[in-house]
Formats: sequence, C-alpha cells, structure tokens
Amino acid sequence: MKGKVRRRTIFAFLGPAIVSLAVIGIAPLLFAAYTSLHNYNLTKLRKVKFIGLDNFTFVLTDPVFWDAMQRTFSLLVIVLPLQLLIGLGIALLLHQPGIGLLKTLTRLSLVVPMATTYSVVGLLGQVMFNIKYGVVNQLIGFIGIEPVNWIGDPENAFIAVAFWDVWQWAPFCALVLLAGLTTVPSEIEEAARLETPSWWIVLRHVQLPYLIPGITAILILRTADTLKLFDMVFTMTRGGPGSATEFVSLMIQRIGFRAFDQGLASAQALILLVVTIVLSQLYIRYFYKEVQQ
Amino acid sequence: MKFTKILKKLALAAGLAAGLAQPVSAWTLEEAAKPYAGTTIDVVFLLRPGYEAAEKMLPEFESKTGIKVNIIKHPYENALGEQVRDFVAGGDLDIALIDLVWIGNFAENGWIEPIDKFTSNPELTDPNLDLDDFFPLVINAFGGWNGTIYGLPFDNYSGLLFYNRCMLEEAGFTGPPESWTELMYVYGPRLTGDGKYAYALQSKRNETQSADSFARMLWPFGGSFLDENFRSNLLSPASQSGLKFRQDLMQFMPPGIVSYDHAETVNGLAQGDVAMITEWSAFYATLKNPSTSKIVDCLAIAPEPKGPAGRKPALGGFSMAVASQADEDEQAAAWLFIQWVTSKENAKKYLELGGVPARQSVYNLPGVAEQYDYVPALVESWQDGVPEFRPRFAEWPEITEIVQEWGTKIMLNEVTTEEGAQILGERMEAVLDEAGYYSGSKPLAQ
Repeated sequence: MKGKVRRRTIFAFLGPAIVSLAVIGIAPLLFAAYTSLHNYNLTKLRKVKFIGLDNFTFVLTDPVFWDAMQRTFSLLVIVLPLQLLIGLGIALLLHQPGIGLLKTLTRLSLVVPMATTYSVVGLLGQVMFNIKYGVVNQLIGFIGIEPVNWIGDPENAFIAVAFWDVWQWAPFCALVLLAGLTTVPSEIEEAARLETPSWWIVLRHVQLPYLIPGITAILILRTADTLKLFDMVFTMTRGGPGSATEFVSLMIQRIGFRAFDQGLASAQALILLVVTIVLSQLYIRYFYKEVQQ
Repeated sequence: MKFTKILKKLALAAGLAAGLAQPVSAWTLEEAAKPYAGTTIDVVFLLRPGYEAAEKMLPEFESKTGIKVNIIKHPYENALGEQVRDFVAGGDLDIALIDLVWIGNFAENGWIEPIDKFTSNPELTDPNLDLDDFFPLVINAFGGWNGTIYGLPFDNYSGLLFYNRCMLEEAGFTGPPESWTELMYVYGPRLTGDGKYAYALQSKRNETQSADSFARMLWPFGGSFLDENFRSNLLSPASQSGLKFRQDLMQFMPPGIVSYDHAETVNGLAQGDVAMITEWSAFYATLKNPSTSKIVDCLAIAPEPKGPAGRKPALGGFSMAVASQADEDEQAAAWLFIQWVTSKENAKKYLELGGVPARQSVYNLPGVAEQYDYVPALVESWQDGVPEFRPRFAEWPEITEIVQEWGTKIMLNEVTTEEGAQILGERMEAVLDEAGYYSGSKPLAQ
C-alpha cells in the first residue's frame, strides 16, 4: 500500500530519539521533582523522608536565594542589551559592501570567543584580571590608571564577570544578526537607501523586521544561558568575593554538590526552570507577535 | 587518654595475633599479597606533592605484590564530591581518601572499615606496623572517629609560618614573631609599604576561608566554633577577639585578600611581595624550588605565632581507609597498600620524594632535621594542635559553606564580627539541631 508506513518502522526511527530524551532529559527531571519533595541529602541517605513542599517554601522565603536571583537578573539586564547593541553594530559594519577579505577574517575571528570553553574563559579571566600580574591592569596602566582590584573587590568582580560575558557572547549576537541582515531583499534595501540618507530609518523600518526572529532567538538563548551561567564564573571567581558573583546556578551547585542537599538544590533548580520557561514564553509572545504582524 | 589506650590495645592485639600465628620475621609483603595478585584497587589522589611522591613509589609496590593500584586524580575541591557520589552509588573506589574534616561523614555513613578488621588478621598485617609511631594527634585527628581508628595518616600538614628572612632582617628583625600580636603591632607596620605587605592570610571563599582564615584566628585567641554543649561559641569574647584581630590585621595584607587562595598567597611570598604567610607544610617544596620561588635562599620557617590561648596551629591532612564497598580481596589488597605506603620503612623515601609522613621515627633519623628545615617547626606544631580545629562531624560540609559565606562577609565589612557570628551561629545550630545533636540522638562528637 503506497504511502503507508508500518508502525514498527515509525518506532524504529523515532524510538532511539525518544528513549534518549527520556533517559537524558525526562528521567533526571522527574528525579529532581522527586528529590525536591524529600529531605534528600547525599550524605544522609538513611534519613530520606517526604517533606512535601517544605523545600519550595524554604527556597521562596530564603533571602540568599533571592539575592542570588537578583544578582543573576542584574547581570542579565546589563549584559544582554550590551551584547545586542555591540552585536548589531558589528553586524551592520560587516553588512557594508566592500573589503571582502577583511570581512571574512572578521567573521572567522568572531567565532573564537564563543568556541572557547566556558571554564577556560573563566581561567583566562582569573589570570588577566589579576591585580598584580594581569594584562588588564597593565593595559590600563599605559593610560595612567592605577591598578584595579578586579577579582578581590565585590563590585569590580561583578563588572569583570559582566565584561567577560559580553566579550564572549557579543560575537554570537553579531553573527546571528548578520545572518538576519542577509535575508533583507537587496532591492528593497537599495530602494530605501535611495529614499532616505538616514541609516536609522533604513534600520528601523526595513532591516529590523527581518532581524526580529534572530533577536528573539538571541533573547531566548542568552537569557537561558545567563540564568544558568556557571562554568566561567566558577573558575574565575567561584562566586566571590563574598557572594558578589554567586549567581543562582552557582548557588544551586553549592547547595547540591558541596553541601550535598540535593532536595533543596532540586527545588531551587525547578524554580529556576519555571522562571526560564516563563521568560521564554514572554519573549515569544511579544516579539513573535510583532514579527507576525 | 582514651585514644592512647585504644592505640595500645590495637597494637598489642596486632602484635599478639601476629606472634601467635607465625614468627614475626616470617611476614613479608610478597607472601601476604600472593592471594591478591592481579587484584586492582581504585583510589583517589589529589594534585599535590605528597601524591606525586606516592605515585613514584607505586612501581615497587606493584612489582612486589602483583596488585595494581588505579589512581583517579582530582583537585581537592572535587575530591569530596567525587567520593561521596562513588560511595552512594556503590562505585569502584576501594580506598577512601579522607580529609580530616570528612572522617565523621565517612565513618557515620559506613563507607569505611575500622582498621582493627585488618590488624586482627596476622596474615595481612605487618608486625612492624607500629601504630604508636604515628604522631598521636595526627592519627587521632586524621584517621580516628569516636574512639575508633579507620584510616592511617598519609598526606599530613600543619600550619607553619613561612617567612622571608631577608625582608625581616632588612627591617631590623633578627627572627620571626613569636605571637600574633607581635606580628601585627611590631612587624606589621615596619614590613608594609611600597607595594610590600607584612602578611597574607589566604581567605578565598572555599575551604580556605573556613580552615585557613576563620579557624586560624579563632583557636589561638581561645575561641572555637562550638562550646561543650555544641552551641555556637562564636559570640564568646575569645572568639570575637580572634575575629576582630583578623579584621585589624587586614591593614597589613595585600588588597583583595578575600580572593587569595593558596596559590596566590604562596606566590606572594615566593615573589618577595609578602614577608610572612601561614601556610600548610606541603607548600615547602614550592617555596624551596628555584623555578617557582625567588626567595629560596631567604626562606625560613617557624611554627605559627602564639595567641593568648597558645599556639594552636592550623591542622589539616588526609588519611587513607579501606572502603566498605570493596569486596574481600579488594579490601585486603587496599589494606596492604595503605599499610605499605604509610609504613615506617617507607617514610624516609616518601619524605625524600616530596611527601610529609606522620611517622615520628623518620624525623629522629640523623640529618633529616638539617636537610628539611621545616621539620622542627612541623614536629612542634603537631604537639600543640587541636583535632577539632575544624569539627570533623558529618555536618561539616554544610557548616563550612555557612562559615565561608559569612566569614567572607565579615572580612568585607558587609557585617560586623558580632552580626556575622550571630547569623553564622544560628545557621550552624540549625544544621546541628536537624542532625539530632540537641535531641540526644547523636553523641556530641567532633
């Protein structure tokens, strides 16, 4: 019978993916949900007991959790617009006609920061921002600025982490937006440029609508990435000094794998998951709506 | 002392058992290991000099016994988590590497075997094991829990005062400070200035903050984490005096000291930027190596300064114990390895290769004190230490996180020493309450 695929064939093709997803994604999530409802400490497994929503109640009323959440969102609202703006600037420059070889080299070099392992970026930051031997202080020393205590001062450490995150991910935004710019029909863009000399009007009314899907993707991906930002900060500051760079994912790791309270850490992680999903839905609702209109 | 009695009994039992079974001279490692040839034992090693030393000794053990030792290397910060996960999951580790603050956790969870399981077996135990030869403080603190010995001390540290003798002499000092107050009020002002600092106290927010920084300033001033009823003692005048002293001493430390871990601190001294540090004896090799230190000829070592309550230096180190999850053959092979690598016979070799043994006899050998100039200070420190320098109960992993957080906040002046101690104490007591110390379901052992 033409066009009819046997059920066994469907399962054969879909089965591995479904099983993998279930084992790698769904099962740990269900286990996290289970542990979040229990007093589940790895070093006290003989005392595991069901405690209902106590872990969630504790997390939602714990000022340490909300402090970490606030730090995480502060980082997000600082770095995300910067990454978008810098990325857009680079994309617009690379979208200009001419100097082909230079543009190719620039595009290639943009891949380097995001191709670097997160933890290596953090280790590099630890060395480069060292107060005495770091290259950053050497560079600012050339223009007469006194050495800055980057890693040892709470505010400076936060700035250093934000700077490092922008360095690593602005190129990603640039490449996504550059791809968006290439989808603008050239005849429309040329016609617009003939109509107005203002680059802003061209950007706002001609190019931006084509960039919206890319911007939405950037917002979703970078928000999720920033909310779970861990490796770079862990190797660079380990959440310190004090709690200055202890973002929510570092706190979850600390509770779950250093204090071994997997129940509490699971509750924190599930709350973070809900926050991430809600934010993603908001982005999709507002930005996609705009592009569909 | 209860502990000494236990040790003597163990030694006597082992000796008697060995003597009854066969002549003492008959025991050899090769013979004892014959039934276990071909067995592989898994053990976690750290990326530290003592482990490199043991690794260099391994071929001899493997060729004598036919037992294969599989080393899994981790940085210190990962070692606890990796082992806990392995033991919880019934994994492959046959030997537990135990920091002294993990011993209560490992013992109470039944992850390690008491050594008398093996010392009572004359076929497995070397008649020359001589447990009394270990420094009593060290074997008690590193390997003992609640009156039972589980592990033998393997990688052993004490806090020492490493100093730049040349810098001190240039400032007019003929020797190191004897007391903490002398360090701050006499040495501090004269050694600080022009980008140089009198002292650096490693205080990064990890175990370094709680062990090397916070606890170091509690004990010499008469303070402690807990009182005899296991209530917080951090608001006591003595504890507060120590914590306030640390705040005052920061004026003679490099800026950003809360981001200093061991590497930065040792490097500060090694590069000639800092005159004095209090660090683990294990860093001697780094400071004495011309490729990592500019002050090799100026390096001098003394015991840590005294406080009003005495010297009470930082105490840290690791024992190795046989894992309960290993099968019988693996347990026997693991015991043979632990016994061999920590033996009196191998102590000199271990020392020469960069390790720090806990055998008293090796430090009495002619020439050792002269060749390793940290030895006198180390031996003196192991007379004055306190086993509960950091409480060793199972709740320490949770409590150390609280100490790290609030200890750093205190140093950053985000809270006063009193406010920090108040919150820290409340949180510490909440953990202990939940564990059952106040209801009487757990003995007050630390």
